Amino acid sequence: MAATSNPATEQYNFDIVKKFAVMTLVWGVVGMFVGVYIASELAWPFLNFDSPYFSFGRFRPVHTSGVIFGFGGSALFATSYYVVQRTCQTRLFAPGLATFTFWGWQAVIVLAALSYVMGYSQGREYAEMEWPIDLLILFVWVAYMAVFIGTLMKRKQPHIYVANWFYLAFILATALLHVFNNIAIPVGLFTLKSYSLFSGPQDAMTQWWYGHNAVGFFLTAAFLGMMYYFVPKHAGRPVYSYRLSIVHFWALSFMYMWVGTHHLHWTAIPDWTSTLAATFSIMLLLPSWGGMINGIMTLSGAWDKLRTDPVMRFMIVALSFYGMSTFEGPLMSLKDVNALSHYTDWTVGHVHSGALGWVAMISFGSLYHMIPRLWNTQIYSVRLVNLHFWLATIGVLLYITAMWISGIMQGLMWRAFDDFGNLQYSFVESVAAMHPYYAMRAIGGMFFLSGMVLMAYNCAMTIRQGQRAAQAAPAVALASA
Amino acid sequence: MANETPRTSVQTTGHVWDGDLQEYNNPLPAWWIYGFYITVAFAVIYWIIYPSWPFGKGFLPGVNSITYVNAEGKEESWHWNTRAKLLKETQDAAAIQKPYYDKIASLSYEQISKDPELSSFVLSAGKAIFSDNCAPCHQAGGQGKIGHFPNLTDDDWLYGGSFDKIHESILKGRRGYMPPFAEALEPAQIDALAHYVLSLSGQKAEPAKAAEGNKLFHSQTAACYYCHGDDAKGRPIIGSANLTDKVWLWADVPGARDDAARVAAVRQVIANGLNRGVMPAWEGRLKPEQIKLLTVYVHELGGGK
Repeated sequence: MAATSNPATEQYNFDIVKKFAVMTLVWGVVGMFVGVYIASELAWPFLNFDSPYFSFGRFRPVHTSGVIFGFGGSALFATSYYVVQRTCQTRLFAPGLATFTFWGWQAVIVLAALSYVMGYSQGREYAEMEWPIDLLILFVWVAYMAVFIGTLMKRKQPHIYVANWFYLAFILATALLHVFNNIAIPVGLFTLKSYSLFSGPQDAMTQWWYGHNAVGFFLTAAFLGMMYYFVPKHAGRPVYSYRLSIVHFWALSFMYMWVGTHHLHWTAIPDWTSTLAATFSIMLLLPSWGGMINGIMTLSGAWDKLRTDPVMRFMIVALSFYGMSTFEGPLMSLKDVNALSHYTDWTVGHVHSGALGWVAMISFGSLYHMIPRLWNTQIYSVRLVNLHFWLATIGVLLYITAMWISGIMQGLMWRAFDDFGNLQYSFVESVAAMHPYYAMRAIGGMFFLSGMVLMAYNCAMTIRQGQRAAQAAPAVALASA
Repeated sequence: MANETPRTSVQTTGHVWDGDLQEYNNPLPAWWIYGFYITVAFAVIYWIIYPSWPFGKGFLPGVNSITYVNAEGKEESWHWNTRAKLLKETQDAAAIQKPYYDKIASLSYEQISKDPELSSFVLSAGKAIFSDNCAPCHQAGGQGKIGHFPNLTDDDWLYGGSFDKIHESILKGRRGYMPPFAEALEPAQIDALAHYVLSLSGQKAEPAKAAEGNKLFHSQTAACYYCHGDDAKGRPIIGSANLTDKVWLWADVPGARDDAARVAAVRQVIANGLNRGVMPAWEGRLKPEQIKLLTVYVHELGGGK
């Protein structure tokens, strides 16, 4: 488990990585707590307390931004800064800019959450932030891009490691998506409110071009980058296929850009756009699976470690959920399947099998690998990691099973006709039928959240242990590393 | 460190990062490649069936087509599109229901409710129309909500429970109104009236106050009998409530905790009056045959008269 080269903690700029790693844990706990809270609101509506500040509509973007940008984003900043330094064998370019990305990004999350609770929202899913926050994101992102590309350019390795391609694709695509989806005219210089420059179907299609590529590049490509470093590194085995990594990287990048409109099936968009989105989603299946194959085949040969190493278990389960949700996605993008699944909880379940099963699990595995190395110590408790693994796995399974049942039931109830061709159920009857599954989903979320809390504790203890060792005997700590 | 794994003879690419990170140069798995080709073939078929690639000012329309009836009543075919699909599906559904609606339009209310097949249709279509249009106020089963919306499942009707009266209520809507008496009467008088009103339906009331209320009710001072009638049984022609039964709409007497709360509930209605008893008119929003069907449905919900 020891770090590979002795003075890694000195050779590289780990200070910024540590900051982001800690905030990953903080936002994980906060964001998932809000998620459990709003899931509980749906099951037990008294939790609204008849106050707009507690309402689902305002808390929901707090949850999504908290987990995607707070937890996921911080995890990506942390691991990308870690991976790019280690695989380029050089320190970060422009450390001042890197520090700015940290404080800027944290400010974005806090400001976004406050503005949502106060009722400010662009009404664009995953891009609810109003224009001043969007501008701050832009500055942070340009700085991030400069740091990352600058570091790549001063690398001491002749070749750029595959993980960095994925991180770079994520950074470039996110910049592009963020800028074009947030072109809006503020109502006034001193108001938070703004209106999109696009209107009607163009607006909707721009939003979902953004929305789905946020999934594609932020939540998929970037975390594949994470996977490409931490899985082979932790398993101590070479990546299965270099060729596969190239082909699926380009196929994935090319296909993803086309598919956003599948979020708008059966709405007032041109039918041909919906057809193209559906077919590119289908053609995206195997390119997506390329990453899963490469990950799982890399681990094959190290299967014995699954019995003893819960970190490895996180990684393999993450890859399995990745494979499952990238199969489910294309299926749901077909016009006829979508006619059943659209607007139902099935979509919510699908997102969470990706977000909890893939994104969060691969981040947990990577952080459990990285955090002890950052503080030059061992993990505080492997037993707690193992417990976290089971809590998280049970939580995801409860969550997605509940949403599959309730989603498909909703879809079927909404379009059930009786013998006379009349609708069989009223909407409110479908709402009443959801209740047990909403409770089940909230409980699944509680499992997942308690695992996250456990991880935060375990990592805090690990960090304290590392700091104490470093203070007590710096020389000894170095020698034993 | 894993260069000489026995499971494969494949070489690595020769690059090493971060001490021990390497990559094998395994070929692409055949099933992966062929799987990808299959999805491409699937996509091409999809493009042939549905509208797909744009070119010039148009797009490939696809070979699939939908036939529906246009605004002039003529059959028309169009390439597959969601608009035509909606037209086609609503027209198909309407065609199934047309014989039933034709019968409903031509038969009397009594004939409709005596025809078993038509009754089944009324139950089915009525539930769907009621759920979409009436349930938001009258609740899913028509049980109403005390303090807000009348119960449609009992045999108490503010405006009359005959087919014709129910039809009139749905078609034209209703506007229930009672003037406030807080300024016209003394608090003690309102209190007395409240006791009298409770006594009318056999609720506990102080006899002395009820007697005084009785006098007031029939006096020119309060003049309650103008609207509620000498017998306090209400007048359906203006929608005034029957005060002698145990059905309550505005004053939440059944939900009151104790005697004092029951009196307070009635007193509150007398003092403040009512101007919320508004039901919108459905003429123009629903088709005439739908309103007729709904009339039979609501009549059957409870005790139509």
